[in-house]
Amino acid sequence: MAKVMLEVRELTTKYITRFREDVYAVDHVSLKVEEGKSLGIAGESGCGKSTLALSLMGYYFPPLHYTSGEIIIDGHTISGMNADDVRRSILGKEIAYIPQAAMNALNPTQKIIHFIEDVIQAHNPKTTKKEIYELARERFELLGLPASVLQRYPVELSGGMKQRTVIAVSVILGPKVLIADEPSSALDVTSQKMVIKMLRDLMEKGIIKSMIFITHELPLLYNVTDDIMVMYAGQIVEKAGAHKAVFDPLHPYSKGLMGSIIVPEQGLRNVKLTAIPGVPPNLKKPPSGCRFAERCQYAKPECKAISIGMRDVGEGRTYRCIFTEQELREVYKNA
Amino acid sequence: MKGYRKYFLNKLGWFAITFVFAFLLNFILPRLMPGDPVAAIVSRLAQGMSNTSGVQAIYQQYSDLFGTNKSLLEQFFIYIQNVAHGDFGFSFSQYPRTVADVIKASIWWTIALQFPAIIVGWLIGNTLGALAAYLKGGFDKVLMPVSIFVSNFPAFGMAVFFMVIFGVNLKWFPTSGGYGFDLIPSFSWNFIWSVIVHYQLPFWSIVVIAIGGQAIGMRSMSIYELNADYVKYSRFMGIKDRKIVGYVFRNAMLPQVTGLALSIGTMVGGALVAEIVFSYPGLGTTLLRAILGQDYPLISASTLIVTVMVLVANFIIEILYGFIDPRIKAVQSD
Repeated sequence: MAKVMLEVRELTTKYITRFREDVYAVDHVSLKVEEGKSLGIAGESGCGKSTLALSLMGYYFPPLHYTSGEIIIDGHTISGMNADDVRRSILGKEIAYIPQAAMNALNPTQKIIHFIEDVIQAHNPKTTKKEIYELARERFELLGLPASVLQRYPVELSGGMKQRTVIAVSVILGPKVLIADEPSSALDVTSQKMVIKMLRDLMEKGIIKSMIFITHELPLLYNVTDDIMVMYAGQIVEKAGAHKAVFDPLHPYSKGLMGSIIVPEQGLRNVKLTAIPGVPPNLKKPPSGCRFAERCQYAKPECKAISIGMRDVGEGRTYRCIFTEQELREVYKNA
Repeated sequence: MKGYRKYFLNKLGWFAITFVFAFLLNFILPRLMPGDPVAAIVSRLAQGMSNTSGVQAIYQQYSDLFGTNKSLLEQFFIYIQNVAHGDFGFSFSQYPRTVADVIKASIWWTIALQFPAIIVGWLIGNTLGALAAYLKGGFDKVLMPVSIFVSNFPAFGMAVFFMVIFGVNLKWFPTSGGYGFDLIPSFSWNFIWSVIVHYQLPFWSIVVIAIGGQAIGMRSMSIYELNADYVKYSRFMGIKDRKIVGYVFRNAMLPQVTGLALSIGTMVGGALVAEIVFSYPGLGTTLLRAILGQDYPLISASTLIVTVMVLVANFIIEILYGFIDPRIKAVQSD
C-alpha cells in the first residue's frame, strides 16, 4: 500500500454567524489520500465542499472555526498546532490551495513575481530575489507558462492565463497535498482543458504528491480523479472509485445526483435526466437522523430517528445509509 | 509607452479647454454684477465736495484708469493682454494697491492654512478608517456615526461651533485674524507665537471635517478589500497578516488619492468659509471683501488662482494615478 499523504479523521468545523449561531458545514468528515492519487469531492452547492477545502488547510479565521478532529499530512498531525507555526511551516509548503474563482485571487496592484517573492520569503526569509526569480522561471516554463508572465500585473493576463498562473504559484514550494476548489468552473472549455492538463502534469512531474479536486461538475471529476467522494449537508454520504461512483452509485442521494447529469459515455443516449425534489436541510439545526431522509423516496420512519453510520462494502467503497447494498440494489431494480 | 503619451496629451488638451472656459467665466461673471464700482470709489473720495464738475472729472479719470468706460469685449482683450504679462491691474476697492500685491499678501496665508489642514485631515481620516475596518467592534461602532455626523457638518457650521466653544466660552484661542491686531509682522517670537495661536481654530475646523469624510470612504474601501479573494489566497499561501494588511491598505488607498485631489478643489470652495468666519487674512477673506467692494480685477484674479490650483492638482493626480495603479495605466494606455 502506498504512503498516505493526507489523512483526515472525524474533522468537524463550524461557521459562527454574526448572530452567534453555529452552522456545522463540515461534520465528522474522514478521508485518506495516498501518494500519487487524487480524490474528487462532489455535491450540490452549499453542501460543504468548499468549507471542507478551507478546513483541510488547518488554518482557521473567522467566521470559520475548528471544533474537533485530526488532519495528518505525511505523518505529521497539523490540527492543534499553533496558528503561526501552521502558517510558516505548513501552508504552501506541505498543503496548498487553489481558490474558487482564482481570477480574483491575485492582488491587482502587484506583479506576479513580487507575490511569489512574498510567498517564498514568508517561509524562507533568506532566499534572495535572484534565486526566487530563477526558481519561478523554471517552474513556470516546466508548466508551459511563458516566463514573461512573471513581470506582469494580473490585469494584463487573460482569465485562463490567470488561473494557470495561480496554480503555478500555489505549487511553487512543491506541496505534498494540493487542494483545488473548483479550479475550472469559471472558464471556457478550452481553458478548462489546459487547467486540467496542468493539474495532471503536476502529479506526473512529481511537483505535488496528491490532490483533492472539488467541483460540482461530475463528468469532469470522473475524468480527472481516481476516487470520488459525495458530500451532502456537511457529511460524506458515499466514497468509491471514480467509475463506480458515477456509474454504480449506492447511496440514494448519489444515485439522484448522478441521474441528474450527463456523463458523455456510449449508450447513454436514451437515459432520462431526473431531478431530486426538495432542498437540503438547514445546517444550523441538522436533523438527528439521516440528513437526506426528507428528500429520499426510499426513506423509512427509522431513517429520521436514528443516526446513520458509514457502511464499508470493501474495495475502498463506503456509503452512509440504513439499507444494505443488497437492499439498495433491490429497490433500484424495481424503481 | 506610446499609448501613454497619447493619453497624457489628450488629458492636457482637456485641461487646456477647461482652463479657457474657466478663464472666460472668471472674467465675465463678476462684471455681470449690478452696480458701478467706480461710482462707489468716487463717492467715497468726493465726500463733502460740492463741485459737481469736479466730481465728474474724478469719475472720468477713474473710468479711464480702470477701463470701465470701454465695452466688455474691449476690456476682455485688454485683460488678456495684461494677464499674459502677469499684470492683473489695480484693485478697485484697495486702490492704489495692485491686485498682484493684494493676492501676494493673502495667498501664503491660505496655502499655509489649507494644505497642511487637508493633508493632516486626509492622513488621520484614512488611518482611522482603515483601523475601523480592521479592528471592527467597538472602535468601528463609535467612529462610524461620529464620522458621518462630522462630515456632514457644513464648513461654516464647524467654524462657528469651534469659535463659540474654544474661542468665546473657553477662551483658549483668539476668535479672529491671522495674528494679534496689535502686532506688526516680524520674525519676533511674540509674533510667531501669535500666528500659531491664531492658526489653531481655523486649522482644526477644516481638519475635523476632512477626517470624517475620508474615514468613511477609507473604511468601506478597506472592508471591501479585506474580503477580496486575494486576501484569503495570500493567507493560505502562508503570507504574514501584517504583509496582507499592507496589500489591502495600499489598494484601498487608491480611490482615496482621488479624494485628495477633489478636496484640494473643495479646499478653496468649502474651506475658504473657515477663513471668512475667523477673518483669517487669506484668499477667502480677500475674495469676500473683493465681492463686497465689486472689485472685478481682484475677484477675477482670486478665482483664476483657485481655478489653476484645482486644475493643476487634478492633472497631477490623474497622471500619478497611472503610476500607482496598474489597472488605471492599462486603461489609460488603450
